[in-house]
Parts: sequence; structure tokens; C-alpha cells
Amino acid sequence: MKVTPSQLQDLYAFTRNHYVYHYDLQTELVDHLANDIESIWQENPKLSFEEARDQSFKKFGVFGFMDVVEQRQKAMNKRYYKYLLSELKQWFSIPKIIMTATLFVTFFTLLQTSYAKYFFFIIFGVLAIWTLFRSIQLNREFRKRKEISSKKWLLEELIFKQAGSIGIIFLSQFYNISMWSDVFISNTKLVLLTAAIFTLLYLVNYISFRVIPDKAEELLKTTYPEFSL
Amino acid sequence: MANSKLYKGSLTTIILKLLNESDKMYGYEITQKVKEITKGELKITEGALYPALHKLEADGLLEVEMKKVDNRLRKYYKLTEKGNKETVNKLNELQEYIKTMQILVNPKFGLE
Repeated sequence: MKVTPSQLQDLYAFTRNHYVYHYDLQTELVDHLANDIESIWQENPKLSFEEARDQSFKKFGVFGFMDVVEQRQKAMNKRYYKYLLSELKQWFSIPKIIMTATLFVTFFTLLQTSYAKYFFFIIFGVLAIWTLFRSIQLNREFRKRKEISSKKWLLEELIFKQAGSIGIIFLSQFYNISMWSDVFISNTKLVLLTAAIFTLLYLVNYISFRVIPDKAEELLKTTYPEFSL
Repeated sequence: MANSKLYKGSLTTIILKLLNESDKMYGYEITQKVKEITKGELKITEGALYPALHKLEADGLLEVEMKKVDNRLRKYYKLTEKGNKETVNKLNELQEYIKTMQILVNPKFGLE
């Protein structure tokens, strides 16, 4: 006896009801449950679909799919940050390192002038405004994508939405950072450090708000073979 | 069933070894295969298998492939080149572990 297409839909709903919201994991678990249900039926053909399903689900333990979901999230976060890091590394090798160095030298020079305090705000302000602008854009883009397909993908959320939340946290620190601006530019060593931090922030934000979203399609297709199916 | 805690640390090695022997496998197939080989002595729990597979995938040791089987999508895992190398390392580690345990449990070996 085989699991029917309508029972498969029922299994998708079942995983959703048990807190599995992402399509890739739902698909994997649905196939697992279906296989197990079919083997339970072989031994005990009289069981109803629901009974066999519940018997199979029990094997996941008292927490059900929770652990699988949690670990999947961790694994996907790891992949996202690995990708971010590999993009970041490119900015420290030829040819992009020239741009990184230029950015750093510019910040360092500006923060040593007598207008350093203003430049500090300008450098931070430009980044903050751009980041906010991009997170609004990305959120809008994400909503549009969801109108086309309602399937949820964890990596897609990381690319379009998590990036946005980092931007908000970043902006919320504006006041704190402005309070300390005098300290940051008080001596050459600290100016060096401040210029380095700004450079890194510009790069990380540029990668997570521009480079990775632009490559979203390609990334999603390599991560999820079922994405284009 | 034997003490599953003892097997816990070897789950990754078991998965890698199985994938090393066949071209590609899906999650359910792995649980069944282990049950079959060990004649039911070792049962990999679902709650442990999938996290282990996803971690190996994130680490770049496994790659995935989707196929439509019986009207549903099935996710197959297979070893990457990095995964092949890691399998050799992990198996060596496990062999060493088994040797050490044998010496500890059965000290006669050490006296010869």
C-alpha cells in the first residue's frame, strides 16, 4: 500500500502543525514519514493512515520535530556566515584589497583632521542611512517574492530578512556611538582602530545588503536542489 | 537494544561509512540500512539522524540531490570530495578508539 497524493498533502500540513515551517525540511520529513508509514502498513495493513502516521511520528521522541528544526536552523546559519566570510575574504585579496585599503586610508585621514568629529558622524550616518534604506528595499522584495511563491526557505529569510534586522540593531546604537565619538578619535591608535572598524562595517554591510541579495537566486538554487523544481 | 549512548559519538562516522559504500542514500534508507546490518542491535533515531546529516551538509562533507519518487520529492545525500577524505580520517580515528578500548577492557593484550 502506498501513501496517496492527498495523504502527502496531509503530511505537509502535519509537519506545519508541528512547527516545521520551511519547505525543504517539510519535504524531507514528509518523505521520511511516508516511507515509514508504508513499511508500518506492510507489517500491519489494517492500521488507518492516521494511526500509522502517529506511530511513525512517535519515533521522533517527545519533542517531535523540534530538535531537527533547531539543528537545521543552526546548520543554515553556519552556511550563511560561511558564505559571508568567503565574500569578505575577497576584499582582502587582489584586486579588491585596493578598494579596501583606499576606504581605510580615507577614513583614517578624515578622522585625523580638525573636523574629525563631523566626519565621524558623516561616515557613520551614511552607512546607517544606506543600511536602513536597503533593509526596507529588501523587505519589500521579500514580500513580492512571497506573492509569487508561498513556499518558505530558511536561507531566503536569512538573506532578505535577517540582514534587515541587523540593520535596525545597528541604527539603534547610533546614540551610544555618538556619545563615545570623542573617545574614538582622541589619539592615533584609537583613530586607526576606528577607521578599521568602519572599514569592516562598510564591507560587511555592503556584502550582506547588496552582494548576497543580488546572488540570492544562485545561492538558493545551489543550497536547495528542489528550489527550481 | 544496546546502550545507545555508546554509539552516539560514532553516528557521523557510521553515516559517512554508509555513504562511502553506496553512491547516494536518503535519510530513511540510512536508518533501515543500519538496522539491517546490525540485525536490529543499533537503531539510529530520527531525531539524531537528520541533525547529523544537515550538519555534515553545512560543513561541506555532503551534497544533496532531489529526485521525484512515488509522487514525492526525495532528498539524497552523497559524499563530496572533502567528505571522502574525512571518511578515511574518521574511520581511522574509530579504529584507534576500538583498539584502545580493547586494551583497556581486556588488559591481557597489553601483557604479551
